[in-house]
Amino acid sequence: MLSFIVNQQVVRTDQHPGMVLLEFLRDVRCLSGTKEACREGECGACTVLVGRLQANGRVTYKAVASCLLPIGDVDGGHVVSVEGLLGAPLTLVQQLIVDHTASQCGFCTPGVVLSLTGFALTSPTLSYTDAIDALDGNICRCTGYVAIRNAVQQLVNQLATTDHTGAGRLAALVAAGVVPAYFQTIPQQLAALPQPSGKLDPNAVLVAGGTDLFVQRPEALMETPLAFLSQRRDLDYVRVEGQVLRVGGGVTLEDFRRSETVLQHFPALARDMLLHSSTILRNQATLAGNIVNASPIGDATIMLLAADTTLVLEAADGTTREVKLDRFFLAYKQVDLRKGELIREMAIPLLPPGGRYRFEKVSNRVTLDIAAVNTAMRLVQAPDGTIADLRISAGGVGPMPFMIHGLQVFTGRALDAPTVDAIVQVAASAAKPIDDVRGSAVYKRLLLRNLVRALLTSAVAEEVAR
Amino acid sequence: MKQEVMAMHVRGASQFVDDMPTPAGCLHAVLYTSPIARGRIRSLDITQAQAAPGVVAVYTHKDVPGLNQVGHIFKDQPLLAIDAVEYIGQPIALVVAESNRAAHRAAKLVHAEFEKLDAVFDPREAAARGMLHGKKRVLVNGDPDAAFARCAHVVQGKLGSGPQEHFYFETQRALACPGEHDTMKVYASAQAPGAFHHHLAEVLGIPQSKVELDIRRLGGGFGGKESTAVWIVAPAMAAFLLKRPCKLVLERNEDIATTGKRHAYQYDYKLGVDSEGRILAYDVTLYQHAGACADISPAVLGRSFLHASGSYRIPNIRITGMSCRTNIPPNNAFRGFGVPQGTFAIEAALTRAAEVAGIDVAVVKRRNLLQAGDTLPYGMKLDWTNAIRCWDTLDTQVDLAARRQAVTDYNRTHTDTQRGLAVVPVCFGISFAQTALNQASSLVHIYVDGSVSVSTGAVEMGQGVNTKLQIIAARTLGIPEDFVRVDSTNTSRIPNASPTSASTGADLNGMATRQACEDLLGRLKPFAAQHLRHPTADDVTIRGGVVFLGDQPTDLHWEALVKAAQWARVDLGAHAFYATPNLHYDLETERGRPFAYYSYGTSITEVQLDVLRGTYAMLAFDVVHDIGRSLTEAVDRGQIEGGVIQGMGWATLEQIHYAPDGRVLTGVNAYKIPDIKFVPPHFGVALLPDSDNPFAVYNSKAVGEPPFVHGLGAYFAVLDALRAVRTDRPLPDLPVTPERAFLYLHGPDLPT
Ligand SMILES: Cc1cc2nc3c(=O)[nH]c(=O)nc-3n(C[C@H](O)[C@H](O)[C@H](O)COP(=O)(O)OP(=O)(O)OC[C@H]3O[C@@H](n4cnc5c(N)ncnc54)[C@H](O)[C@@H]3O)c2cc1C
Ligand code: FES
Ligand code: FES
Repeated sequence: MLSFIVNQQVVRTDQHPGMVLLEFLRDVRCLSGTKEACREGECGACTVLVGRLQANGRVTYKAVASCLLPIGDVDGGHVVSVEGLLGAPLTLVQQLIVDHTASQCGFCTPGVVLSLTGFALTSPTLSYTDAIDALDGNICRCTGYVAIRNAVQQLVNQLATTDHTGAGRLAALVAAGVVPAYFQTIPQQLAALPQPSGKLDPNAVLVAGGTDLFVQRPEALMETPLAFLSQRRDLDYVRVEGQVLRVGGGVTLEDFRRSETVLQHFPALARDMLLHSSTILRNQATLAGNIVNASPIGDATIMLLAADTTLVLEAADGTTREVKLDRFFLAYKQVDLRKGELIREMAIPLLPPGGRYRFEKVSNRVTLDIAAVNTAMRLVQAPDGTIADLRISAGGVGPMPFMIHGLQVFTGRALDAPTVDAIVQVAASAAKPIDDVRGSAVYKRLLLRNLVRALLTSAVAEEVAR
Repeated sequence: MKQEVMAMHVRGASQFVDDMPTPAGCLHAVLYTSPIARGRIRSLDITQAQAAPGVVAVYTHKDVPGLNQVGHIFKDQPLLAIDAVEYIGQPIALVVAESNRAAHRAAKLVHAEFEKLDAVFDPREAAARGMLHGKKRVLVNGDPDAAFARCAHVVQGKLGSGPQEHFYFETQRALACPGEHDTMKVYASAQAPGAFHHHLAEVLGIPQSKVELDIRRLGGGFGGKESTAVWIVAPAMAAFLLKRPCKLVLERNEDIATTGKRHAYQYDYKLGVDSEGRILAYDVTLYQHAGACADISPAVLGRSFLHASGSYRIPNIRITGMSCRTNIPPNNAFRGFGVPQGTFAIEAALTRAAEVAGIDVAVVKRRNLLQAGDTLPYGMKLDWTNAIRCWDTLDTQVDLAARRQAVTDYNRTHTDTQRGLAVVPVCFGISFAQTALNQASSLVHIYVDGSVSVSTGAVEMGQGVNTKLQIIAARTLGIPEDFVRVDSTNTSRIPNASPTSASTGADLNGMATRQACEDLLGRLKPFAAQHLRHPTADDVTIRGGVVFLGDQPTDLHWEALVKAAQWARVDLGAHAFYATPNLHYDLETERGRPFAYYSYGTSITEVQLDVLRGTYAMLAFDVVHDIGRSLTEAVDRGQIEGGVIQGMGWATLEQIHYAPDGRVLTGVNAYKIPDIKFVPPHFGVALLPDSDNPFAVYNSKAVGEPPFVHGLGAYFAVLDALRAVRTDRPLPDLPVTPERAFLYLHGPDLPT
């Protein structure tokens, strides 16, 4: 039996935990405001908010794609669909969309409303850019977005003076008409609900964000036992120990990107993570899930590969072992993970002095698209500027994400034009792409060459600038 | 109205077909479709599917109660395949079950064996084999062959433009509810009430009077719900046979893989100019990639054909057009209806010609723009045009020459990135090219409480036609807009309605609504005069819901007037009809007056290209567009913004990959339409001031489609940046995806 709050109502249900929230809302609860336009996380029409009770007694909300979110994962939480904004009077976001004629057919509109509401509830800063980032997963076929942008501008103007730090934020947003007053009673109500135990069944299918699983096999997942990683609260951490950034196996991409620790110690990783999927997916999807999925083109994977990450794997009995990420991938979609094991932690060494990190991704559409090719580099230079250590990962050009071998020969060499050419050559010869919907093989081979050149020349350019 | 409707949208309270409470006992239908592109059906085994859990029935062509046909222009498309299939995705069987899930599972259990036959996926090949829908069309004006000999520069080549998926957010769907006495009520996401009403009755084998098709709103249409009736007729057939409600909702990937798209085209072009870039002759052949059935393709081709000369004066021209029969799902209408494709070819040819002549392409375009007195290839003389006014207004606003100079300077001082610029003029004929479709009717009811209900054949799909009808009714009756409600589009209220397309929804239905309201006023005014004991109705007007005598308001308010009129037995319902006058076209001579008027505009698009990566970003867009006297500016601006971005998507990102056997490989995870970050940071829309249009209601102009064509600017601006890097390669096909841009810059030389 799952229990959670939908809008203002406590709901108890015996539906299978693998039923996606979209289906539960529309077909079981008859709440038709949440729309379905793809069922694959690609459109944002199904966006809802999910609030979870935190240790500090507050509820944090995230905008998520309900088409990929199993209801088992909202157990003990607060689900807000567009009906939960009550709409009489219209909320601030709703009113601004109306005022700016930022809706035409209206099918995408509830999703846009909830993403912007989620932005107001959670974004650490309330800038225009943040708000646009929050809409990067909400596609609209009608408006051309210009009117939506105008509404967004007005929204951030109006929110500029609201208190958005700490405990006062919710009350301020209620006062500003962004969310209805009943939101303030939710923490108490959630505290009264049974919260999930945090013990995972090692024989069940492990679901982290579910953004891969529920695209691949949604039907099968409605018939097997599931274990939800989000219940392992102990895996939700990002910290620095010595010269290592330690990231828990349950950390979502968005929490990672927004983490103060990451921003302070490895800002480039935070910046690049914005190129991964979209806000409503990053709010769910995890770094570990990206790795285990072993997609040849996984963005987080390619970044962490170059960054020389080590995985800490935990067996069902709690014992752990370590595997270097560059040894984790065995073959197409095969990884060195034993039955019942999970990724407990990703340990990422910080950049030493003289170290640089770069990521390149080219996809058909810049945002919310899978790369044709992606590649990342970790370069450590000696004080005299020569190469001390060079790691380059490559995606989209083989059956699995991989490290380019044979770069040790460049150790000790200056990063001059002939060296850059030679490295590019080594990278190019490692590429074995195939033709697929992301691009032709010839494109990907040449693209990798140019992207590796871009990685290196940006480093050189930085060098010159110094 | 717009406000009210949008207030529903933001609350999630607007009901689309699948949001209506599912009726008790509702069944769910799924189509089993052909997995091969062409072949004979050797055997079809539905027994396993029939026996699957939850399945109520599995139907084949033998079960169709009436005519097994959904062909739109020609009767060439069976609802369910009989003994042969012509494309992947062609419906073969209809699986009906208690739940959607059960129906989908069971559909996988249908087994068919085929004898595979050779399929054709290339329109040029189809043309060479004479596989055409309808006849090949040829229009000659002047003497192009002789004129080419006089040209200072002649360019020629081959080019292609790709398909475009509509990606309406609401996929194809319908809910059919059987009634007493073999009647059927169908709620559908459909743009063509009249035609689909007809298809429904034909397939069910009952008179149209027993079928009611009701359309409240669409979650986007863009033309994709205008002609192909399959997904509406199929659930109705099941509902009819089983006497239970039945619903069919396409999943996104089914919709992408099996429904029609904007037609891909191939082009052969040859363009000749004099030494100053004036066009002397143009010869173009359009190969339309139509798909296996004619659907509406010949009509789309017709529009490409009539717009092949773009916004330019071309004294000698030969246009050849073929709708090529290929083994892909039949393509259909998509915003612009062939005009973007026709325009693309002339814009590309002229760009090349300017390059060869060594004159800035914008200068060449301006020099050739249509002006009053020019004659279009099909013999229509233009009494007036706004082509030059739009161009010059834009020029005054943004200074085209200065913009060009800035880009040239930028490119001279940068190597990693290059900028590109394109100025695109648009000339778009308004009216259905098929004269008979230019008709509409309107039914206006005034109720005794003063509220007014308007019904027309126009379908609301986000374009705001209902808002415009509401404004027209309120303005004509002289009452506040909130007295007027536009009802759903329903075949029992409005018979035989033309599709809502060709941007004519507001033009035609607005005219009819205005007429109906005037008819009502014709009854109410004399009654008011009598009621006020005033000698003549001539002095009576209604303004803001108050009856005036001359310039004096009286005590008589709209509600009181209506109430008194009803008591006095005045007829408060009116039906009116409108047919656009003076339209004709002769397909034999390819001459006539197919359009009531033209919509014009000029835009400038600027992009930045990343040379190493082959990626690009839209930097700025400005347009001056002619929409006459706008009925509602917010709605019209929205149409322009949405149309332009959709056009930019077609020109750059949106592509479909096919396997060698014709399968669509691109699903929703790879079909990328513009997102919010794609939109250029600067997006300026100006409406051409002081534009009158006596040919449409209240001097307005159609706005739904024409702005789409400005999206071509994205292709030409990227091309401009690519050409700044190198010019030794042929133009890339449209869309110029990042992959195409990259290969243009860095790819191996292709065999020519
Ligand atoms: C619309 C869309 C866009 C996307 N865009 C991108 C993109 O831009 N770049 C990109 O790289 N990917 C993208 N993805 C893929 C996907 O979102 C990512 O791979 C994501 O990081 C997966 O994480 P998850 O937590 O959702 O994984 P899940 O789906 O929960 O799990 C994936 C697999 O990993 C296993 N797993 C999860 N966590 C652990 C753990 N801690 N230990 C052991 N096993 C575990 C699961 O059992 C499952 O087998 C996209 C997906 C969608 C639907
Ligand atoms: S339905 Fe498209 S993202 Fe969920
Ligand atoms: S308003 Fe139609 S999809 Fe956004």
